[in-house]
Amino acid sequence: MFRHISSHPARPSSLPGRPAIALLVIVLLALLLSACDSPFAGTQNPSQTTHVATATSSKLIFPTTPPPLRVPTFDTTGQIAPTVKVLSSVDPTLIVQFPLFPASIKSLFPKASGLVTVFQNPVANDFDVVTVDVQNMPPNVKFTVFFVELSAKPFGHAEYVGDVITRGDGSGESVFHLITFVAFAADNRHPTTSSDQTGDASGIQLEHVGMWFDGVDPARQVLKNPAIPGTPFDGGRGALHAGPQAMTDGQTLPVI
Amino acid sequence: MSFLQFPHRRLPARCTSAGGSVLLVMLLVVLMQIVGVPLASAHMATQAQNSASHTANTFPFNVGSTDVQRLRNVIHNSQLAPTVKVLATSPAFIDQFPLVPSGIKALFPNATGLVTVVRGNRDDSTSDTVTLDVQNMPPNITFTIFLIELANKPFGNVEYVADLTTRGDGSGETIFRLISFLAFAMDARNPGTSVDGEGLTSGINLEHLGMWFSSLQDAQKVLNNDTLTGTIFDGGNPPLHAGPQAMTDGQTAPVL
Repeated sequence: MFRHISSHPARPSSLPGRPAIALLVIVLLALLLSACDSPFAGTQNPSQTTHVATATSSKLIFPTTPPPLRVPTFDTTGQIAPTVKVLSSVDPTLIVQFPLFPASIKSLFPKASGLVTVFQNPVANDFDVVTVDVQNMPPNVKFTVFFVELSAKPFGHAEYVGDVITRGDGSGESVFHLITFVAFAADNRHPTTSSDQTGDASGIQLEHVGMWFDGVDPARQVLKNPAIPGTPFDGGRGALHAGPQAMTDGQTLPVI
Repeated sequence: MSFLQFPHRRLPARCTSAGGSVLLVMLLVVLMQIVGVPLASAHMATQAQNSASHTANTFPFNVGSTDVQRLRNVIHNSQLAPTVKVLATSPAFIDQFPLVPSGIKALFPNATGLVTVVRGNRDDSTSDTVTLDVQNMPPNITFTIFLIELANKPFGNVEYVADLTTRGDGSGETIFRLISFLAFAMDARNPGTSVDGEGLTSGINLEHLGMWFSSLQDAQKVLNNDTLTGTIFDGGNPPLHAGPQAMTDGQTAPVL
């Protein structure tokens, strides 16, 4: 057999081999294609392509200019602190900013500063977004943030909102999501009313923001005064364990 | 030397069968590749799961979690409501409790709510994250959410934290970030004290959560009752424009 075939060297060797090699090449190509195809298929988003195609075919035109800004009405009573800035913003949003100033830390940290930014979408709003940014504060200290009835002593009614922990360089920030512009304190057993930016409202309005040392011990250490008494401006951990007010909006008229 | 010029003439005859074998092998490879990708993914996923379980089993959760242990002790000592479930994580912990219908019970007996509070590391976190999910509630209605001193009337001291607007199917959810576990009400002129799981604290602890109709008109319409009277449970003008309580944690012992 072998010899017989070997007497016809060219044809028998080439004829059966070529289809096999062709098949092999096809298979290898198929293998290559399947290997290359998978990742592409994985990264491609058919719906995106369709969307683009649809968008191209329907010739959707998107705006090329920024939306108009307007300064929304924040206060209808004319009773808002002069430090409050209502920013120009896109309808229907409301963005209010006001500074915080050093209170008890003023002598040792005169350059301490704070900026409170409150964002609200009055149309679809589950809560307001409050950002507190501070600089040049005592480093590595935890402060509590409260909404208060009065910006200075005796502060009146208060609501514990959140904390800010400063970094080593005295900067820090926190973001809170909660009702802010219509925050109020009330005891439902003895409901009262007071005025806010929209007129009379239930409860006692909390229209100021302040920051307190969350512990009297750190306050004594930072302010180098072992005689500083405790305050109620922190939750848990024993009564009157907080320190003095560190930052205040410093206003008589409302800021929120 | 080309394979086609291979001098062994017997080989081509074998080449047909060898080519077939190669083809079969290649097809098998292709088939395995096609089938193998998901298998490999599944295998990797299984490996990842095993690895995760392994990690979960070896990670020191629950062991040194003083906050979780403290909370469990608080529950064990009946200082927290029996409906409260403290999930095991550390250094954060997650607290869950249900809400049940109160003012809407007659018309929406299947209304349910679930409150999930995530509290970060006590030393590092600056607020808690509260998620509120509801089902089978009156559809397309805005409810206010309050932290309260007492779960049921007269509710006592209150803090307005957020809103929740239901969809057409009566479901809804909202997420807000603020102090919840250590929430308290106080008038700093006379802060008073109360007791929570940690002992004596400043102010009056707000350890319950409830939902109210934000609009008395909505409540009268939904509940088919024109005699309902306004309540304080919404902010802004005018006073007493909110409706009755819709959902409550219903507990005597604290849930927060």
